[in-house]
Amino acid sequence: MNTDSLLDHLFRHQSGRIIAHLTRLLGPQHLETAEEAVQEAMLRALQTWPDQGAPQNAPAWLFRVAHNAAIDAVRRDKTGGQKSAEFVEELNRSALNIPGDPDFEGQLRDSELRLVFMCCHPGIPRDSRVVLALKIAGGFNVREIARAFLAADEAIAQKLVRARRQIREQNLTLDVPDGAELPERLDTVLEVIYFMFNEGYGAHEGEDLIRTDLCFEALRLGDLIASSSISSPKVDALMALMALQAARLAARTDAAGDLVLFEEQDRSRWDQRLIVLGFHHFERSIAGTGISPYHPQAAIAAAHARGAKWLEILDLYEQLYAMSPSPVVALNRAVAIAKVNGPADALAAIESLKLPGYYLYLAVRGHLLLELGSRAEAAACFTAALECRCSEPERRFLQRKIEECDQGAGVASGFPLSTT
Amino acid sequence: MSKYMLLLYHDPAGFTKMSPEEMQKATEKYMEWRKRSFVVDSGRLAGDTGRVIRSQNGQSRATDGPYSATKEVFGGYYTIEAAGYDDAVKLSMDHPHLAHGGTIEVRHVFGT
Repeated sequence: MNTDSLLDHLFRHQSGRIIAHLTRLLGPQHLETAEEAVQEAMLRALQTWPDQGAPQNAPAWLFRVAHNAAIDAVRRDKTGGQKSAEFVEELNRSALNIPGDPDFEGQLRDSELRLVFMCCHPGIPRDSRVVLALKIAGGFNVREIARAFLAADEAIAQKLVRARRQIREQNLTLDVPDGAELPERLDTVLEVIYFMFNEGYGAHEGEDLIRTDLCFEALRLGDLIASSSISSPKVDALMALMALQAARLAARTDAAGDLVLFEEQDRSRWDQRLIVLGFHHFERSIAGTGISPYHPQAAIAAAHARGAKWLEILDLYEQLYAMSPSPVVALNRAVAIAKVNGPADALAAIESLKLPGYYLYLAVRGHLLLELGSRAEAAACFTAALECRCSEPERRFLQRKIEECDQGAGVASGFPLSTT
Repeated sequence: MSKYMLLLYHDPAGFTKMSPEEMQKATEKYMEWRKRSFVVDSGRLAGDTGRVIRSQNGQSRATDGPYSATKEVFGGYYTIEAAGYDDAVKLSMDHPHLAHGGTIEVRHVFGT
């Protein structure tokens, strides 16, 4: 029996799982064999499903065909030398498993987790980790990753090359790190996931939907860890902050694609499932002992989601700043200061911040100046902000603010902020 | 109504560079197009080199393909029903094969 439509991102999600499974079988030295087998399976789907219809269990079909492609490749290339016959036998056995089968699902998720952990091995260059994870676990290709990071294809390809070289030279495995290495590796994995989410959420430039895909991939990977035996409250904190922010993605722009300020957002457009997921993880994050840099951020996100007063939010920002005293955190804290103590105090708080080229800094400064009635200075800030990298909706927002300054209109409310 | 054959050509390298997401979207588009009411029949051809049979000195001989040396490969076909060439072309203009850099040859089938 054939089905008419495929789940969103089915190919992309299955890609990572099958690569993980095949890599576990063949070993990371033969990662490329695994990747090519999956590519072959998807190509075969493109060639046969249009005429024969999609199979009832598409993931199982892809899984089986990828195994067949791997077997062909191992035979043809004598992959693993003496081991190639053994590989073929194991692949034949493995092909009998059915993805979606509850007993097998656990194994697949476990393999995927190990693959992600390998991508974050300390031997892999720092800026290659997220690229490697997105490629082999995420199912994105070089061009998509380059678009997401606003980088050149070649630069991303180079990062991948470096990562692959280290996998080979250091004989990396899919073993779970033990002892003290495990929490360290987990921290690195969480950093990579957090970075991925922020790149997607930040939407610095253009209106590319691939950035939303990054957010959801980060959530998917976070969920993989959160539902495993190595999860911990800091994983829940990260999940909470990602889910609660992602919940607002749809509400950030209106029908015309223009930026909607946080206070003006239509809360009914917040994704309720993600809000519920976010709070679920937030509760779990505060259950145990131990605090992480993700905890205050999760608390802030949760506070915003339940409509907490700005005084409480300012307090949470103070806690966050105490843990992570970065200029960006200081900037976000200043927004809360403005709400509680007024624009003059907030302006003083950001005066000494060094955030060159960061449009948000200039936009916030401009807004505070506008609130204080310094229209000409405010306009200068907004104009300078336009010179920085920002998305189309952000650009339009800044233009409107400049017009407000020129027209001498009343002071508008709301910040063009990460509070969107 | 007459029958027309659509012969689909493409450069295989193009499809291998696609990401999983792109391949899924392409698959969905091809699946959708296949269901259109004027499509009578369709088939995709295996991507192997195939065989070529020729007669030499009165003897039929088969060799390994491909038939032509060009980069483009004949990858699939459709039989559609259309009122004429213009109609057949109009119906085929939005075939996803074209968006992926492929070429479609349209030929009237004699006697239909």
